[in-house]
Amino acid sequence: MTFLAPLFLVGLAGLAIPVILHLIQKERKNVVQFPSLMFLRRIPYQSVQRRRIRHWFLLFMRLAALALIVLAFARPFLRRTEIAASASGAREIVVLLDRSYSMGYGGKWPQALAAAQSAINGLTARDRASVVFFTSNTEVALRSAADKGRLQAALSGIEPAAGATRYGPALKLAGSILSESALPQREAILISDFQRSGWQGSDGVRLPDGATLTPVMISDSAKPNLAIVPVTLQHTEFQDQQRITVTTGAVNHGESQASADISLEIGGRGIQTRRLTIAPKGSASTTFDPVTVAEQNVRASVRLSDDALLRDNVFHFVVSPEKPIRVLVAERPGAQRNSSLYLMRALAVSETPKIEVTSRQADSLAAEDLARANVVMLNDAPIAQNTADRLKAFVEGGGGVFVALGERGSWPASADILPGVPGPPVDRTRGPAARLGALEYGHPLFEVFRGPRTGDFASARFYGYRSVTPAANIKTLARFDDGQAALMERRLGTGRVLMWTSTLDTGWSDLALKPVFVPFVHRVIRYLGAYTEPKPWRTVGDVVDPGLQAPTRGSDVSRVALTPGGQRISLDGDGPEVLELSEQGFYEFRAQGRESDAPIVVASNVNLTESDLSQVDPQEIVAGAMGRAGAQAAGETAPPSDEAQESAQRVWWYLLFAGLLLLGAESIVASRMTV
Amino acid sequence: MDQTAIPGARFVDPIVLARIGNLELVARAVVDGFINGIHRSPYFGASVDFAEHRGYVPGDDIRRVDWKLYARTDRYYIKEYEADSNSNFSVLLDVSKSMGFGSRGITKLDYGKMLAGCLTYLVHRQRDRVGLVAFDNQVVEFVPASAKHMDVVLHVLDRVTPSNPGNLRTPLHKVAEHFGRRGLLILISDLYEEPDEVLDAVGPLRFRGNDIAVFHLLDPAELDFSFREPSAFEDLESGEQIPIVPDALADQYKELVQAHVNALRERFSANRIDYTMLSTASPLDHALFSYLSTRERLSRVR
Repeated sequence: MTFLAPLFLVGLAGLAIPVILHLIQKERKNVVQFPSLMFLRRIPYQSVQRRRIRHWFLLFMRLAALALIVLAFARPFLRRTEIAASASGAREIVVLLDRSYSMGYGGKWPQALAAAQSAINGLTARDRASVVFFTSNTEVALRSAADKGRLQAALSGIEPAAGATRYGPALKLAGSILSESALPQREAILISDFQRSGWQGSDGVRLPDGATLTPVMISDSAKPNLAIVPVTLQHTEFQDQQRITVTTGAVNHGESQASADISLEIGGRGIQTRRLTIAPKGSASTTFDPVTVAEQNVRASVRLSDDALLRDNVFHFVVSPEKPIRVLVAERPGAQRNSSLYLMRALAVSETPKIEVTSRQADSLAAEDLARANVVMLNDAPIAQNTADRLKAFVEGGGGVFVALGERGSWPASADILPGVPGPPVDRTRGPAARLGALEYGHPLFEVFRGPRTGDFASARFYGYRSVTPAANIKTLARFDDGQAALMERRLGTGRVLMWTSTLDTGWSDLALKPVFVPFVHRVIRYLGAYTEPKPWRTVGDVVDPGLQAPTRGSDVSRVALTPGGQRISLDGDGPEVLELSEQGFYEFRAQGRESDAPIVVASNVNLTESDLSQVDPQEIVAGAMGRAGAQAAGETAPPSDEAQESAQRVWWYLLFAGLLLLGAESIVASRMTV
Repeated sequence: MDQTAIPGARFVDPIVLARIGNLELVARAVVDGFINGIHRSPYFGASVDFAEHRGYVPGDDIRRVDWKLYARTDRYYIKEYEADSNSNFSVLLDVSKSMGFGSRGITKLDYGKMLAGCLTYLVHRQRDRVGLVAFDNQVVEFVPASAKHMDVVLHVLDRVTPSNPGNLRTPLHKVAEHFGRRGLLILISDLYEEPDEVLDAVGPLRFRGNDIAVFHLLDPAELDFSFREPSAFEDLESGEQIPIVPDALADQYKELVQAHVNALRERFSANRIDYTMLSTASPLDHALFSYLSTRERLSRVR
């Protein structure tokens, strides 16, 4: 037992005062005249001279109450060593071992393992311990075990992972384990390098009452660290070949200037190397010469020369030539030359994605034309039966069709792919022109126009449109102010059909003259072409949908994923519904048995915020997790401070309560004795 | 003592009586009330006053023949005397310093004075001769017994004050020499002496044929020792002080007092001396009634 304020124990000496007064108090000097002391003289001297204590029990209660209160003020507590030695202090320990990649810096990881083993070796026979590894995710290696051998074995062969530090989930898990324990002493030991980036505040992190958190700081005297920064890719075309320009750089987290070589690898071959000189706490960037990329999914990396932390010296990414969206615009035979003028111009100015436009007459649409196209736009054109059949097959195969009905647009009823049956034109040249009254801003097509000043469809005036009898279960994405449909959608298989009831030129409306026309057309093409932004890289911890990454989407061929570590994961049957990237490197998605097909490659990189090794005060985390100030001193082997231990145990509160309770009981007993 | 045990008795605290100031009046009031209660005079001894003559019959004591009448008449006549109602009655009142103690507004001496006054008045009404001896360690006042000394007795009672330490033996032995005739002696004292010494002090009085009654006066504080605060207790007579914690020795003290009273009662009873212990807290009329009733009852037995 140790006392935080031992000086208060001097107050215990005061307990003797009432006893001494009680026993040796001289009688008061008031004189009582009495007729004769004849009888009083006969009484033995000692019983006259001293008071006798008659109510020993009351005296004991009073002294005990005062002693308890004095002890409470002295703030007693048991040191960790005392607790460990105490036979009644069986402990539930949760060893939280930071396994983020920053722990691979210098000699941190052996220190961390030694600290964890030390904590396990300190267990007594009645203690139990859990071993939890954590990065941004947590992994319980062994839960509430008393066998030191098993606990030590759980630490063997463990190396830092590719994840970044996050303390919140680990502390929540520790709190969950500790709250389930019935042992009297509960403690979480957090072994980490305490990176500031890993602590997002104490939201929801709270260890159960009575549990303590002991931080064990793992630090390395050498602090310099260079980290690469994510690349920027720029696509250019040169002589019908696509070229990619890679720009990257490095960050110096150290206090002194550093120089490093940075190299670019594409397809496993070194392409270029540059020399960077980086100021302390600064960064530098470099742009490599353009590289021609002819194949899809080519692996590429930029690397810094090695330093104490290797994982943040390399950045992987995937380069592919950009694939344009091929759009086939079909007009009616004999259409005026400018009937698709605005449409063509709008399509031509798209850069991301690039749009390749081909123009055909509606009656001459061949199967080959459709096979090459991703999107077909029918602009004010009557469609013959055979063409309609081919378009139906095109849509069912995943293609997109945009039908601008206009005045002459028609569709054979047998090829039912339109969202509605076109009716007669509605003339709005008399009276006020029609305007778009309601847009479905939740639809991907109009989502980008949701914000203010991002697209003013209401300014466009419509003088004519076709009435439409909508089919069942179709979406109307835009309506005119009189409630008539302006834009409708129908899905067919994996393909999509949009039907515009007016025109895309200036014949029936002035929409083509409005600023919103070009982005509207681009959104239509992206939507119908099922365009998704290619991601050259991802970060460890991201989740990818195997269904989207498989090279043979829609087929019944079984697919597998190869991790950077060589593990083979089946994506069919019992395989994972989603795949979490847990390693740094390239993941491959292949169709099993069709190795000749080019695989889809996903580059996975470590979270570069982890490369900043600046530390957070462990006391901040302790205070957040324990819900109060008075954190414990950090240090690899330093025990928590006396204040923190005392604060965690709060013995004084119980002593004070017991003292007051005893005083209350004493009052009751004393009153009854008096009565 | 339970005052309500006597129907019709006056429940007047002696403290109130003492405040009246006129001792004679106080004594009369008390005795009158008492007489009216019992309708009978108590017996106080024989008289020697002449009543009549009668003729001699054989067997009469020839010493009682009236020889002067025989000379004139030549016949033998016997002198008859009046009833034995005229006797000497003296109060021996202890006026030592210890009698000046009173914890409830009335001292033992005041109570003793009222007791002496009441009894003297009572006896005076019976035409007995009354006297008084006030003493401490010496005889302070001496009033010879006479039928005319009632006022003197009351006057002396009013005058005496406690001034000296007390002692029974010296003054009582001295007084015994002055009582030539047998009579009734009332000793009023707090008897702070050993029982044997007390008996030794009254011995000469009894040996001369006096009828002795002892009133042992004690204050309630002397009986129950109802002190609480530790104090220095000072002997009223010697001035000696002893530090006392009352709580610690009250029980032992009361046991000693009770043993003293029992010893006195036993010694006096064995020597045919009436002994009455009175607390100054008990009403005087009640105390008198109790004593006189008992004495009358015992007189019949004798």
